[in-house]
Amino acid sequence: MNNAISFARASWLVALILVAWQTLVGFRLLDPLFFPPPADLLSTLVSLVKSGEAGRQIAMTLSRTGVAFGLGVLWGAAASAVLALSATLRRAAQPLIAALYSTPRLTLLPMVMLLLGVNDLSRVFLVALGTALLMTIQISDAIRGVNKDYVDLAVNYGASRATVIRKVYLYACLPQIFTALRLSFSRALVLTISVELLNCDDGLGSMIWTAWQTFAIEKLYVSIAITATLGLFFQWLFQRLEERIAPWKEKTT
Amino acid sequence: MFDAILNCTRLGVTYPDHGKSVRALTDVTFEVHKGEFVAVIGPSGCGKTTLLHVLAGLLPPTSGSVERNIELEGRPRTAMVFQENSVFPWMTVLQNAAFGLEMRRVPRAERERQAMAMLERFGLAGRERDYPGELSTGMKARVAVIRAFLSGAPVLLMDEPFAALDRQRRIMAQQELEELWESQRKTVVFVTHDVDEAIQLSDRVVVLSASPGTVLAEYKVPMTRPRTLLWERDDEAFALKRRIFELLQLAPLELSASCSQ
Repeated sequence: MNNAISFARASWLVALILVAWQTLVGFRLLDPLFFPPPADLLSTLVSLVKSGEAGRQIAMTLSRTGVAFGLGVLWGAAASAVLALSATLRRAAQPLIAALYSTPRLTLLPMVMLLLGVNDLSRVFLVALGTALLMTIQISDAIRGVNKDYVDLAVNYGASRATVIRKVYLYACLPQIFTALRLSFSRALVLTISVELLNCDDGLGSMIWTAWQTFAIEKLYVSIAITATLGLFFQWLFQRLEERIAPWKEKTT
Repeated sequence: MFDAILNCTRLGVTYPDHGKSVRALTDVTFEVHKGEFVAVIGPSGCGKTTLLHVLAGLLPPTSGSVERNIELEGRPRTAMVFQENSVFPWMTVLQNAAFGLEMRRVPRAERERQAMAMLERFGLAGRERDYPGELSTGMKARVAVIRAFLSGAPVLLMDEPFAALDRQRRIMAQQELEELWESQRKTVVFVTHDVDEAIQLSDRVVVLSASPGTVLAEYKVPMTRPRTLLWERDDEAFALKRRIFELLQLAPLELSASCSQ
């Protein structure tokens, strides 16, 4: 019951837009060539799902995103651990990270393709790099923000260095790490689709670009809607995960 | 004295702050005996917290020395209680209370049994699975004090653990602490800025001056235990309160004059 209410609260505006859209096109106030009515889009979606194309493209995009995200998270976690332990390295790496962070990742694609070839390796590498950058910045920030009182307390009660890292730093950083994971994943998805849009034969990005090139307007709309829904779904998933893994977070005032 | 468990001699702490060096403590000399309850009182900014960190061994003194005559048997030497951030937000009440035991590698069942007994004794039964974010300030302070007593550390260092409580809850917390201390007789160094609290709880009061902190005076509290809440009726104890007020320049002279009549 509560779920139904919160669903209604979150979706009435979308429903209203769809109804208005359908009505306006119905009265020819909007040109159906540029704004295909939602009902038509739905049947396009159904046929794309039935033909298996939608599933195949989603699977391609998600597998690229998943592999790149996984590698990027490990890369970022390792990098932030090293940076947390060595102040010398931290100071030296800081300008490099800042420079990379302020460069749009997509602009690095040609260079990466030059070095790794025009293939999935370079696509995955670029997305992994983007994920690793964001994760490193966020985790390093979380580690810096850990309240020294908790470290003092643990040390005072006889905790070893390893125990302090495991029992204090890890937990104190966990909520922020989860926020970072959520942000990084949606960035990874965006970047993967952008890369596919620029240079790829399959995946959602390529589907959108092909739809545009062939003026398949309905397919264009549907692929964008699928992309948006995927993003929404993963945001929701990561939020649920966070509530389960860091249950104290919402309860802390 | 031969049984001094903590011994500070001409202790000084200076730390850098934005390029300048700040003297937090200077020439602090006092000792704490085994099983004694010592209150350290002083205005804010007198380096009380710094002093506790030095006593805990978390901060080396810049000058002078601190002797900690505490034999180790796989136990922490000291157990701290802070005013804020005194419990870990990501551990349940039970895990927090048993943290010192966990650090001593006491098996889980045993440490939970001991912690549960203490939580029940101090009115926290039924809250053991809660996270600190769900507790009141008073309950959090209680959990922190329980953790310190359970840790097995012979010396407890408390940094204004009850300062955030309202007057009524503070009195309750003080009575519980006194009761715990009576039953276990640990050595306690209790930092506070509340003169009443210092006299109510301690055997001896060390008065510090403000920046840099140094010992102004030391007084024995002339009262037997258990103490009544209405100790102000005791002439000697009240005289002590007045002396400390004057020393800290908390009371205007007229008030002190009218009080002495």
